[in-house]
Amino acid sequence: MNVTQDLSIIELILHASLVVKLVMLLLTLVSLTSWYWIFRKAFAIRDARSKTDKFERDFWSGGDLNALYQSAVNDRHHSGAQERIFEAGYREYSKLRGQKVLDSTAVVDGARRAMRATYQREIDDLEAHLAFLASVGSVSPYVGLFGTVWGIMHAFRGLANMSTATLSAVAPGIAEALVATAIGLFAAIPAVIAYNRFAHDVDRLAVRFESFMEEFSNILQRQMR
Amino acid sequence: MSKDSPLRPPANKAGKRISFALAIAVHLVLAGFLFYGVRWQTKSTDAVEVELVRAVPAPAPAAPIAVPPAPTPEPAPTPVPVPEPKPLPPPPKPDIAIKEKEKPKPPPKPEPVPAPARVDPFQEQLKREAEQLTQRKQVDSAAQELAQMKASQAAASRNKAMADYLGRIRGKIRGNIVVPPEVKGNPEAVFDVTQLPSGEIVTVRLKRSSGHTALDAAIERAILKSNPLPKPEPADLFSRSLELRFKPLVD
Repeated sequence: MNVTQDLSIIELILHASLVVKLVMLLLTLVSLTSWYWIFRKAFAIRDARSKTDKFERDFWSGGDLNALYQSAVNDRHHSGAQERIFEAGYREYSKLRGQKVLDSTAVVDGARRAMRATYQREIDDLEAHLAFLASVGSVSPYVGLFGTVWGIMHAFRGLANMSTATLSAVAPGIAEALVATAIGLFAAIPAVIAYNRFAHDVDRLAVRFESFMEEFSNILQRQMR
Repeated sequence: MSKDSPLRPPANKAGKRISFALAIAVHLVLAGFLFYGVRWQTKSTDAVEVELVRAVPAPAPAAPIAVPPAPTPEPAPTPVPVPEPKPLPPPPKPDIAIKEKEKPKPPPKPEPVPAPARVDPFQEQLKREAEQLTQRKQVDSAAQELAQMKASQAAASRNKAMADYLGRIRGKIRGNIVVPPEVKGNPEAVFDVTQLPSGEIVTVRLKRSSGHTALDAAIERAILKSNPLPKPEPADLFSRSLELRFKPLVD
């Protein structure tokens, strides 16, 4: 091994053994995918939050429920999660209300069930792919570590053929191997941060939806009388 | 959509492309950072050698020459610019070096002084060129001198190191020689020694006998006894085969 070697990052990657190269490639792909989902989730959650804000403003400004429902139905492509929950609940409520056999508790319960189903679907949609980020965050350091261990084994095996064991004979090999850990950490750190943050954001949205459902049920109950 | 179908969140396709582009951008930024920011080169630091030489005397005459700004340092094929004659004071003391040379023949020197109005531009240029030439020559010779001095110094230091190296080898071996008592006179034996880079002796071969078999054997034993030979100080002085001369009675 040439001692006076140029240790730029390209050289390090090119000189690595096949397994280490594969590990690096895998980690790079994982990192790309995780960043893709980080951006998509960030956009989706920001969008959901702003739409929820807007709908809550509209709802509590004391408008007519029927008008709100109509606008939600007509503009379904631009409605937010909370608006869809409201739509499902109000639709169920207006359907059940026409039937004279049911008492008010049953009507409100039916509306609440409809809202809960929509709510669960919405939360599921918001949480989709967060598990991927979580597993990237927890696994990719290990994958990188595997590549590093493999590369170091390689470097030390090369050392066995040398008569004099010097540090400069192994150092390039170890540096090559450590690049794998670096890539693994680069994939993992943003994924963990993004996962924690998105999980927190989704939880807060879920709390808002749930409290809205409770409040809306109360309003429906009052309307029944 | 039928009346009873559940409300599903719409497939959000808006962020797909931009997310992908952003993800790629993040990686490109990181790759660029790694490429330009991480460059561990095991570059051997250049040895800086400083030599003090006496100053080159050439630059002294340069100052007066620089006063009339020449249009181009090289003799341009175009005619000399016209505005020169007026502002140019009749070159009073053009050059010390040249003046000294020209002393024996006075005619060229007084010539420019009495005719300040019309200085012959051609003559002027010729003179300037001559000055430049001598100056350049001086500088060149100084540089050459310097290079020669450097080379000779390097060679001398190398020779000294080599002599030192051989002396150390010889000294180590000499300490091990047990001269047989019956040897007389001033015999010299020459041995060829082959060694490994670590100083280990591979072969010892008698090249020229001293005339005494016992003495030859004693010297050979001594060489083998001083087995790891000392290593040279600058490692590149090492050579696999050495020719060693011994005059054990003289030393």
